[in-house]
Amino acid sequence: MIRFILRRVLAAIPIGLVVTLGVYALVFAMPGDPLRELAGDKPIPAAVLAAKRAQFHLDDPFIVQYLLSMKDILTGHFGTTFAGADIADQLRLRIPVTLKLATMSLVFQWIAGLLFGLYAGFRRNGVVDRMLLLATLVVLAVPGLVLYFTGQYVFGVELKWLPVSGARDGWPMSYLLPALCIGISGFAGLARLTRTSIVDTVNSDFVKTARAKGLGEQRILWRHVLPNALLPVVTLMGIDFAGIFGGAVLAESIFNLPGLGQFMFQAIKLKEGGVVVLLSTLAFLMFIVINLIVDIVYGAIDPRVRNV
Amino acid sequence: MTTGEVLLKVDDLTVEFDTPRGPVRAVDGVSWQVRAGETLAILGESGSGKSVSTQALTGILEMPPGRILKGTAEYRGADLIAMTTKERRKIVGDRITMVFQDSLSALNPVQSVGTQIAECYRVHRGMSKRDAMKRAAEMLDQVRIPAAANRVRDYPHEFSGGMRQRVMLAMALALDPDVLIADEPTTALDVTVQAQILELIAELQAEREMGVVLITHDLGVVSDVADNVVVMYAGHVVERAATAEALEHPVHPYTEGLLGSMPSSDLKGQELPTIPGTPPSLRAIPSGCAFRPRCPIAIDDCAREIPPLLTVAPGRDAACIRRTTISANKEAV
Repeated sequence: MIRFILRRVLAAIPIGLVVTLGVYALVFAMPGDPLRELAGDKPIPAAVLAAKRAQFHLDDPFIVQYLLSMKDILTGHFGTTFAGADIADQLRLRIPVTLKLATMSLVFQWIAGLLFGLYAGFRRNGVVDRMLLLATLVVLAVPGLVLYFTGQYVFGVELKWLPVSGARDGWPMSYLLPALCIGISGFAGLARLTRTSIVDTVNSDFVKTARAKGLGEQRILWRHVLPNALLPVVTLMGIDFAGIFGGAVLAESIFNLPGLGQFMFQAIKLKEGGVVVLLSTLAFLMFIVINLIVDIVYGAIDPRVRNV
Repeated sequence: MTTGEVLLKVDDLTVEFDTPRGPVRAVDGVSWQVRAGETLAILGESGSGKSVSTQALTGILEMPPGRILKGTAEYRGADLIAMTTKERRKIVGDRITMVFQDSLSALNPVQSVGTQIAECYRVHRGMSKRDAMKRAAEMLDQVRIPAAANRVRDYPHEFSGGMRQRVMLAMALALDPDVLIADEPTTALDVTVQAQILELIAELQAEREMGVVLITHDLGVVSDVADNVVVMYAGHVVERAATAEALEHPVHPYTEGLLGSMPSSDLKGQELPTIPGTPPSLRAIPSGCAFRPRCPIAIDDCAREIPPLLTVAPGRDAACIRRTTISANKEAV
């Protein structure tokens, strides 16, 4: 087990290098000058501009800038943003916001996905099953942006049940609407997969064997159907979990929640390569760790992938 | 030669499937019985209803879309079809057990084989986990799995096809059943392993005076191990006889055709004879005798009504209006 974890961590190092380099190159390739962007219409004195350029190594070649950023990240000296905010402080303030949003939306997504998926799977072609198919098609067809703005308009502006945006109302009020929106756009895939997996498993030969052994339905369900049907579901839940940061960029920006996603959005807008790479590295590390956890869980529940 | 007590007696069993295009009759008025110590082969091609009939009587057929229209299946006088699911579970899985064709998909992939065998003892005998696992290891040993004690905790994918079928057997025989229903137990195996498994079934059967219902499409298997044979075609029983007699003097033209298409050394170098045509779709079974369009001796009268299963000689039944006695058989040939 320890060897397995070590191997995965070592394999992550070259991938991490490629990912960070790629992200940095993309930010570098974006048009526009970051400092002019920051200043807006106001003129900046040439001396200030030069000092800032030197501070952020903006005149160095691409690869030097990248290596300097990586050195800062690895040594823990995150420095400041172009606007002068301390990045370490920013992280301390923003990580809890994103964690709260991510947890809440995952809980919505998983509970809704599993409940609907399981129910539809066992009551195949029933009312819930048909409704689910319709609902999934709608959710998959509607882009996240439309869903978010509709949510804001209906529940925030018209009904006034929930704040339209911002984190002023604290947890949980400010987080409910964005988490609900992320949950709705994410639950459909999970529900469909769970449903299909249940249907497949219920019709499989070993369930027939279990019936031929004279087992009760409850025992067949808990010992034979669910442990097999939930295998692919666990994989998808892991992917969902790891991808939640990507969703947070959009949702936090639209709902104006001061989390990592919003930070990322602002950094991309300002071409702050260092910050973007730092946040990407964080997301990447989380991805690796979550994948590792999923693999370990998977090995525990499916003997066929052990010792691979 | 088999005079044991009648253990399982199926009478007039009829099963239909609901399909979007109307009901389809997969099994029509099938009757057979199996005695203690007897091996009964149910012979037929795929779609002839041989598996559906046993799955229906053990209650493992998906219902719906399946539906038992009529018929009884008595285990020692108690009708399995009429009884409640709860009552049936005390018999199916304990006194009547089953082995399926594809042992890889028929075993739960995420449970160790020991756990799956032990489950029988836990559920039907209420044994403790430890005792049940011990008995499971003994069962693996009985089906001749080498180093059985070390393999109880292994998973199905860690066994070869033949070994997995032995595991299935161990599971089916764990509770010393009276009747074993083996649904094409050797079809997925290669010929040498097939012979080993059949031999093992025969040995274990002799030890316990068990009745075996062997579902197969392989005449070779039938001639090797079966005492009696029931030949099915398009959901009907077309011939019922002792194996030796059926192989020697087949009465129904279908049985005759099957025998004729068996490879043998006499036919070396010649083209293998086949039965012309294909089995009918269950949606469009020909009127009268279902075998009529493929039958070399069919006459107009064959289309009139479904031929009843008639006794042509003591212990021999066949459903063919052209051959109502053994001697008639000779004339027709």
